Amino acid sequence: MIFVAVGTQFPFDRLIQCIDEWAAENNMPVHAQIASGKYTPQHASYDRFMTTDDFNEKLTSADLIISHAGMGNIITALENNKPIIVMNRQHQLGEHRNDHQADGLEWMSKLSGVYTASSTDEMCDLLNRKHELHGSEHHDMAQRSRLIAFLDQAINA
Amino acid sequence: MNKTKKIFAISSPGGHWIQLTRICNGLEGRNQIVYAMPDKLFKAKKDQTVYSVIDVSADDKWKLIPCALQISYILLKERPDTIISTGAAPGAVAIMLGKLFGIHTIWVDSIANVQTISRAGRMIQKRADIFLTQWPHLSDGTKIQHQGSVL
Repeated sequence: MIFVAVGTQFPFDRLIQCIDEWAAENNMPVHAQIASGKYTPQHASYDRFMTTDDFNEKLTSADLIISHAGMGNIITALENNKPIIVMNRQHQLGEHRNDHQADGLEWMSKLSGVYTASSTDEMCDLLNRKHELHGSEHHDMAQRSRLIAFLDQAINA
Repeated sequence: MNKTKKIFAISSPGGHWIQLTRICNGLEGRNQIVYAMPDKLFKAKKDQTVYSVIDVSADDKWKLIPCALQISYILLKERPDTIISTGAAPGAVAIMLGKLFGIHTIWVDSIANVQTISRAGRMIQKRADIFLTQWPHLSDGTKIQHQGSVL
């Protein structure tokens, strides 16, 4: 099963429609979280918004995550060793209030287990070779431990 | 170990909140943490205190006032030693109020801000006692520090 999630702030119809159409052609089960999107999936099952528990349940039962280029879904996918494909929202298409998701795409692509698409064409290319995508191999927590140790020390100084 | 310090942790929902909770998970052992975030779908875990606040962005400035009143109420009630936020606008409001109330404040700029410090971050950059970026290249070595990242 593929789980696609666009966050809660804005709709992302361009992504949802792309995945829904690809899934229909390829007869692939998909669950989508679509926020306030106008496009309603014809093939995929969907929720507009999900509780954290429902979200985590869908994420852990999926073998591929697809998302807008938002940090929350990337962190959650990496922590669960799921491969994730992210596509950035575009400011000029009214998909976000700025283009920071496009700025992030380059470094996101360097993370193990994270795949990036800057267009629906690139997304379809990745979907067509989804069997080659793999989750992050080892999730390095050294930087997180360092940050927490610094904060703990600063708070309790 | 005694839980000596009380932390007020606040952020927007979504990615900011995921980053905040990952940081706070590591701080929960030694510190008492009270959370606030604007999401009705979120269900707090047992033993967690999570206040709901109005969701604001820097685009709808008129909502900042009720948000500031809510946060003031929480700060006066909970009397935290430290405020920590990963952004965005509600966190910036909390940092400003923290400064006003003499509370130690820490800003951890979201890892999503790769090219520049976030807009909310720039608003409170001079006010936060500790201002961190998660990107080495955005650090200036003094006021904007890099001390690790959630990923």
